Amino acid sequence: MTPDHMDLVYRVLDDQLVDVDGRRCGRVDDLEFDGGPGEQPRLSAILSGSGMWHRRMPRVLRTAGARIFGTGVLGEDVIRVPWEQVGDITSTLRLKAKATELGLAQGDEEAARFVRKFPKS
Amino acid sequence: MKKFFQIALGVIAAIGGFVDIGELVFNTQAGADFRYTLLWAVPVGVIGIVVFAEMTGRIATVSGRPIFDVVRMRMGLNVALVTLVASLLINLITLAAEVGGAAIVLQLLFDVNVSTLILLAVVALVLIVYFVPFGGIERIFGYLGCGLLVYVAAAIHLKPDWHQLASGLLPSWHSSALYAYFVVGVIGAALIPYEVYFYSSGAIEDRWKIGDLNLNRANAILGFTLGGILSIALMVVAGEVFFAPQVHPGYLGTTALGAERAYGEAGLLLALLGMLFAVGGAAVECAFSGAYTLAQFAGWEWGKYRRPRDAPRFTLAWLIFFALAFVVVETGVDPVLLTEYAVILSVVALPLTYLPALLVARDKTFMGDHANGILANAVGWLYFVIILVVSVAAIPLLLVTDGGAV
Repeated sequence: MTPDHMDLVYRVLDDQLVDVDGRRCGRVDDLEFDGGPGEQPRLSAILSGSGMWHRRMPRVLRTAGARIFGTGVLGEDVIRVPWEQVGDITSTLRLKAKATELGLAQGDEEAARFVRKFPKS
Repeated sequence: MKKFFQIALGVIAAIGGFVDIGELVFNTQAGADFRYTLLWAVPVGVIGIVVFAEMTGRIATVSGRPIFDVVRMRMGLNVALVTLVASLLINLITLAAEVGGAAIVLQLLFDVNVSTLILLAVVALVLIVYFVPFGGIERIFGYLGCGLLVYVAAAIHLKPDWHQLASGLLPSWHSSALYAYFVVGVIGAALIPYEVYFYSSGAIEDRWKIGDLNLNRANAILGFTLGGILSIALMVVAGEVFFAPQVHPGYLGTTALGAERAYGEAGLLLALLGMLFAVGGAAVECAFSGAYTLAQFAGWEWGKYRRPRDAPRFTLAWLIFFALAFVVVETGVDPVLLTEYAVILSVVALPLTYLPALLVARDKTFMGDHANGILANAVGWLYFVIILVVSVAAIPLLLVTDGGAV
């Protein structure tokens, strides 16, 4: 691998997403590429959310996977983050915006509404 | 000097935190049934946990990746998902066993209805975990768990046959399925994965930096090795007290009687308090480990160093773990039986977390100058083979021996 090339599966897929404030906000569950047959493929976005999991499962488990983890509805169980929003790639993928601005970590927002009622939360 | 004390305190906490219900059950039963002939399995397990914990602590310190992050990143979604489901199940069974164990010890101390004590144990653990900072939790349970050191004193006090004891530390073999089952159990109890999930995530909770790699090495090598001496002491005391009268300690309270034989009521009390904090600490580690694995797999915010509202799904996850464990124990299932299943099942799942840790620890892309050297790689792969053999043998031995009953 030359210095200007990167193994996306090894270094990006499944990695931790961290927003501009250092908050963990999901994982890279899939990658989206632009380009048709005969064209140079270009990485256009990362997809984060359990709705992508069934597509990466063995064929026989995909239906069950979709029922359990979601079917991959954009904005609901999958969030699309344009590649331009990715800043640093180190041991995590550091994003250039806040998680909430990108629609990430919605589950944390919902759970936080409940947890805020706890003492000293 | 400050660094020295930091290391010393970490090591003391690791000693007290090493023994859990797995060691209390398997090592005592192994000593009762086979006297000293299974002693060699303790160092095999202890060296394994030292290698595994040191690697995961080093990965977390150098690359900022806790163990389940490594599993997901290195093994991909599908293997990580299988590992997650197995780990969550094993963590829950182990947590239920530890909570049940704490309730049994409390019953021996206070003679109150066990059902009430289970509730009391869970509520006390939840309150401690919620209100006490991470470092405080490690120290409370680690230091007070050192009450179990009474077993080291008792092992010497009971004047064992030192020649036979030394022979027991040399690997030997009996052509009996029960013996093989206990070999797997003793090694598995030392290598139980939740300890590594907790240790690795703890390195990030404690914000270890490159300069803390010596602390990691000292905690892993000294802490777990000295904790291993406690495991040996448990087996020696059981060998001295239970082997000759052919007592099979199927009840957790029986384990405490070994210390009573040596030091009377004071020994019994120390042993019970040590057991209470050892299993209590292990329960906290299990609940956290369950929440860590889930949060790290899915990429949620996690950590006790965050306020509950800043890591809300992580907070709810460990609370739900305690609630589920409470329900499991309240069904009246025997904690000793739960422990045996937890240890054997965790042995089966062990390669799934050990292999990715080894692959990343040797990878210079992630670890730079701190990647495994030749010796660390050789020991790492040797232990991978040992872990594979033990994991393949675990379930057949569980079935053949009916969980060590035959």
